[in-house]
Amino acid sequence: MVTSVTNLSRSGLYDWMAQRVSAVVLAAYFIFLIGYLIAHPGIDFATWHGLFSHTGMRIFSLLAFVALGAHAWVGMWTIATDYLTPMALGSSATAVRFLFQAVCGIAMFAYFVWGVQILWGI
Amino acid sequence: MLYALSKSLGSEEGFAEVKASLTSPLAKIVVWGLLSSLLYHLVAGIRHLIMDAGVGETLEGGKLGSKIIIAVSLVLIVLAGVWIW
Repeated sequence: MVTSVTNLSRSGLYDWMAQRVSAVVLAAYFIFLIGYLIAHPGIDFATWHGLFSHTGMRIFSLLAFVALGAHAWVGMWTIATDYLTPMALGSSATAVRFLFQAVCGIAMFAYFVWGVQILWGI
Repeated sequence: MLYALSKSLGSEEGFAEVKASLTSPLAKIVVWGLLSSLLYHLVAGIRHLIMDAGVGETLEGGKLGSKIIIAVSLVLIVLAGVWIW
């Protein structure tokens, strides 16, 4: 058996679970955020700033950022291992896929750090 | 989007700037587009979870489910459009 080294947890079952748990977190977060914006039409700065100053909202947002990173990584890993294959790209497939996943990983890490900066910078 | 979040939370002027920039028709179309993809992804994802629970896993169930999520997504996308405009 070939051991998969580029998936998130080195186990397809854990990745499957991570994808679903992060999905539920993200669904809750976006439904809450959209609901909040619908409930506050023409929202002003004080209300908006107040929402994100709340510790609970910061923790929820941080959780959503982590979930977004994990969810995007599993999703991109799935796409990369499905389509960036030797059958599609020939002998350079592994290099291309490694580069693609490295770019994805750096992007997700950067988004996460940026998100933390925003949350704790206000 | 993170840039908009950062700017809107950074200062009152930044918030007003982000709010003003979202009023142009082009910005509204972009927001609608992003929201539409998110809604479709969300609805299809919920269907995935339902199928994980063993519901609708037959060929007929799968076909019916895909029709349902397209219909539900369309309704939500139209509603999102109404909300934005």
